[in-house]
Amino acid sequence: MDVFFNQAFTGLSTASILLLVALGLAIIYGAMGVINLAHGEFVMLGAYAAWFLQSFLGIGLFLGLPLVFVFVALLGLAIERGLVRWLYHRPLDTILATWGVGIVLQQLVRMIAGPDSRYVERPAMLDGNLRIADVYMSNYRIFLLFFSVAVLVATWYLMTRTEFGTKLRAVIQNREISECYGIRTERVYALTFAYGAGLAGIAGALITPLASVTPGMGTNLVVDAFLVVIVGGVGSLLGTAAASGLVGEATALFSFLLNDTIGRVAVLMAIIVLIRFWPQGLFADRIRR
Amino acid sequence: MKRRNFLKGVAAAGAAGAAGFPGIWIKGEGMAHAANGEIPVGVLFSLTGPVAVVESTLHDACMLAIEEINANGGVNGMKLRPYVEDPASDPATFADRVRRLVIRDKCVSVFGSYTSASRQAVLPVVEQRNNLYWYPTLYEGRECSRNVMYGGAVPNQQQQEFVPWLAEKFGKRFYLIGNNYVYPREENNVCKILLDRLGGEVANEEYVPLGHSDFGSAINRIRREEPDVIFCTLVGDSDVAFQRQLHAAGFDPGEMPVASLTRSEIEVKAMGGEAAAGNFSSAPYFMAHQSAANERFVEAYLKRYGSDQVTHFVSEAAYFQVYQFKAAVEQLARSDIDPISIRDAAVGLRTTAPQGEIEIDPNLHTHLWPKIGQWQSDGQARVLVESDKRVAPEPYWAYDGQSCTAEGLVKG
Amino acid sequence: MNQNFRFDCVGYALFAALVLLAVPWYLSFDGFELNTFARYLALGMVAMALALSWGYAGILNLGQAATFGIGAYIMAMHLKLGASAANPGGLPDFMGWTNVETLPWFWVPFHSLTVTLLAGVLLPAAVAGVIGTFMFRGRITGVFVAIITLALLVAIQLVFVEYQMYTGGQNGLTGLAPLVLAGWTADPYSTAFYYFVAGCLLVATAACVALTRSKVGLILRAIKENPDRVRFFGYHVSSFETVVFCISAMIAGWAGMLYVLVLEFASPTYMGVPFSLAIVIWCAVGGRNSLVAAALGGIVVNILEGRLSDLFVEGWTLFLGVTFILVVLFMPDGLFGVFRRIATRLHERLRRHRNSTGKALPTGAGAVPARAGEQGGQ
Repeated sequence: MDVFFNQAFTGLSTASILLLVALGLAIIYGAMGVINLAHGEFVMLGAYAAWFLQSFLGIGLFLGLPLVFVFVALLGLAIERGLVRWLYHRPLDTILATWGVGIVLQQLVRMIAGPDSRYVERPAMLDGNLRIADVYMSNYRIFLLFFSVAVLVATWYLMTRTEFGTKLRAVIQNREISECYGIRTERVYALTFAYGAGLAGIAGALITPLASVTPGMGTNLVVDAFLVVIVGGVGSLLGTAAASGLVGEATALFSFLLNDTIGRVAVLMAIIVLIRFWPQGLFADRIRR
Repeated sequence: MKRRNFLKGVAAAGAAGAAGFPGIWIKGEGMAHAANGEIPVGVLFSLTGPVAVVESTLHDACMLAIEEINANGGVNGMKLRPYVEDPASDPATFADRVRRLVIRDKCVSVFGSYTSASRQAVLPVVEQRNNLYWYPTLYEGRECSRNVMYGGAVPNQQQQEFVPWLAEKFGKRFYLIGNNYVYPREENNVCKILLDRLGGEVANEEYVPLGHSDFGSAINRIRREEPDVIFCTLVGDSDVAFQRQLHAAGFDPGEMPVASLTRSEIEVKAMGGEAAAGNFSSAPYFMAHQSAANERFVEAYLKRYGSDQVTHFVSEAAYFQVYQFKAAVEQLARSDIDPISIRDAAVGLRTTAPQGEIEIDPNLHTHLWPKIGQWQSDGQARVLVESDKRVAPEPYWAYDGQSCTAEGLVKG
Repeated sequence: MNQNFRFDCVGYALFAALVLLAVPWYLSFDGFELNTFARYLALGMVAMALALSWGYAGILNLGQAATFGIGAYIMAMHLKLGASAANPGGLPDFMGWTNVETLPWFWVPFHSLTVTLLAGVLLPAAVAGVIGTFMFRGRITGVFVAIITLALLVAIQLVFVEYQMYTGGQNGLTGLAPLVLAGWTADPYSTAFYYFVAGCLLVATAACVALTRSKVGLILRAIKENPDRVRFFGYHVSSFETVVFCISAMIAGWAGMLYVLVLEFASPTYMGVPFSLAIVIWCAVGGRNSLVAAALGGIVVNILEGRLSDLFVEGWTLFLGVTFILVVLFMPDGLFGVFRRIATRLHERLRRHRNSTGKALPTGAGAVPARAGEQGGQ
């Protein structure tokens, strides 16, 4: 039985990381249909920002989080203003442009911070394990789990309970009519993009204690995050969360029954079938677009 | 001179043909090597892409050696002229760039690459053009090209002492975990043979995809199996992620150490000394190794590339191979400098490397000084065991009746 | 025979002249230089295959590299068996190392060259047929097609890497024999081999251009514009989509086979996500609305990569990324758009010239279309 619970926790932990990475992507894709392949690089920049703050300014991981968020969000804002806003009317082209942005960001980081991998220290208070019977849960992973849920709730609040969120939802539903009502859609888009980028930055900073920080670290993450967003359903935060949970748990289950590679293949196949039969996602967004 | 080269070409073609290589395409070309007092050499390490994390340090070490040699008057009065290419961590690009180096730039040797996949991608070009490829990385063995100088350890050099030592100190139940490609599988084959001789057992053998970074499931399995030793052939990011997660999960290296064949100072730097402390690696070189040659190497390296950098067992080989190349070229007349003459001159050469005095075997692999190091929290290894003699490379150690010799692979 | 078709023909002729005459002449018929260029041609071919499904039918296949890779592995298996003939049981070396005792059944047919050549195009087509039927029957379009094909690509690559006792794993298939085709040994460093690859590219391009000019091509363009209306006309939309998806896969598989001949090894990176996205980039740079331009895009971007990495070893990918961004921003139709504009202007000037000299050209059906590639070609 302890095997079951151990694996279940592993799945949840995978899911929480996926959720953190995918949330920003879901907002950007859901709100403006931009397929942001540079999202992985935003994650990577968040990780590097955390590394920079820690090793040069001595600011710890938690204290640094707001700074990381602001830094990556500003960068996202610049990219939106400079590039992405010209492409809203041809969304498939954003794939190419953001791929180019990704290459540029990777190379810039490689040239500035060096190509070798970097190290960020885990906050000491989260060392160790919580042990219940024979179930071991790393404190840091538990923290990640709660944190990702908190980010989800905060984002949900922002989207549904604030004026900005109301405007954003109006713009998503009908951009022209929103403009008629005096909503500055350009600004809404820009801020949304920045917020999504900032979330990616936080995700990057928080995964540093579990993985290595390299210029190419984002590339692997972006494909998985995308699958999660699509499976969850466009524009649905709850869907993204549910899909993260599902993919995380399925990965843990399959990789325990089979092995890590074949487990991943099985999950990918399941995702393909899900998209085929529920292209609108688990939690369909019932807005006519 | 042309005629002599031609004869050499024919002889090499014959040898290559006998070894099973398609040698029919070797063309007699006018070898204008070492013209105008410069010796062109290729430097082929990825500066971009995922493998750049390691390969850029090999590039640095290789360039350092070239700069040092040139600053000290070059080779027989000639300077080395490095042609640098960036193969971007992609095998197809490796194949493309090595063509440029060998054909367009007429390099007499190419120093390059870290992964087995990239070595195999350049092999067809190097063999058909009868050039010489200096490969500094530890690898799985089972290869016997007459056009590659292998500077890294093969399985027998890394494991022959290591596995019995681990079995004696910690126990004979090993959990094998590695990335899913040829190197870890072959090392594990060798490890299983050694364990078998010792009467040990394998708790589990597990492979994860390259770049895999979530080891939750694997750690659960390890916890359940309770092995004596975690025998690890994970590379790069995977190794870093694995060790950090293992450490976060509270494993005690005193009871269940990670014994790695691939972990060097560079991975430890990325995972943090705290996470690695207490675990073991087997390698011919550690940065903390004490010798005059190593002091010079480390000092020059840090001075050139920054004091936060580290040297490791692959960058050491990338460095000493350039000196092996120099020693070989020094024995040749200026008109004789071509890849095959360099290779033939290099066999049997002894040079002083940071790890100790090394020697090139007729099979083109290198006699090395295996060591066992224990990682400390400052990110350096303390060398616990040092081989008392040079260990000969046996790339076909695990395969009875096959051996790599000066005539290529011999079976039976 | 309208101007669109004439434009295609002129473009094709120029492309053929470039590939067959200008390039070999520029490289002074040097076998090794031509070998490098033959690699670009194979990559141009797979970009052209993508343009067929993306530009003409609106199917954005992010998994194009999968079918390319399958073709590549099939060719490599045949060549590997050729190189392993002397081994006990004809067993490839890497199988011996992974304790495989006998040749697996799915390797056996590839002793035969005929089977290999057929399988190299038909197997990718079959894979595309299955996944295409699966997707298009469910009226999956746009970004969902992109995501499904991407997921499939990742899965296929994982499988190829995982079962290394049968596929050579991460290292792929190396140490291959040369291809012997009807008594001719394909030496990848010969001029003849270059013309062989160039011929394949030109034949495939001609076939695809012919397809897009046929009635099928017209219906495909209509589907791209509005699938529902085509459906109302009684056409079976998903069948058309599946067919073009399969043909695109066949060309990709063919290109994969050529690629292995050029590079002399097969690697799982041929099925990687970066490679697959690169194909999309080439297609976009060339212009997805023209097959010839897409092929040219593949060639041009690869030349550019080669040159940039030569000039700026340290930061060449920076320039590459910036180039992509600029192309997307300022050349939405890629090189094709630029050519098109030049051609249109030339045509205008010619017409004005003729008009002024009194030989009036009939206006109407034959006049310059408003937008490239969007008018019917009957």
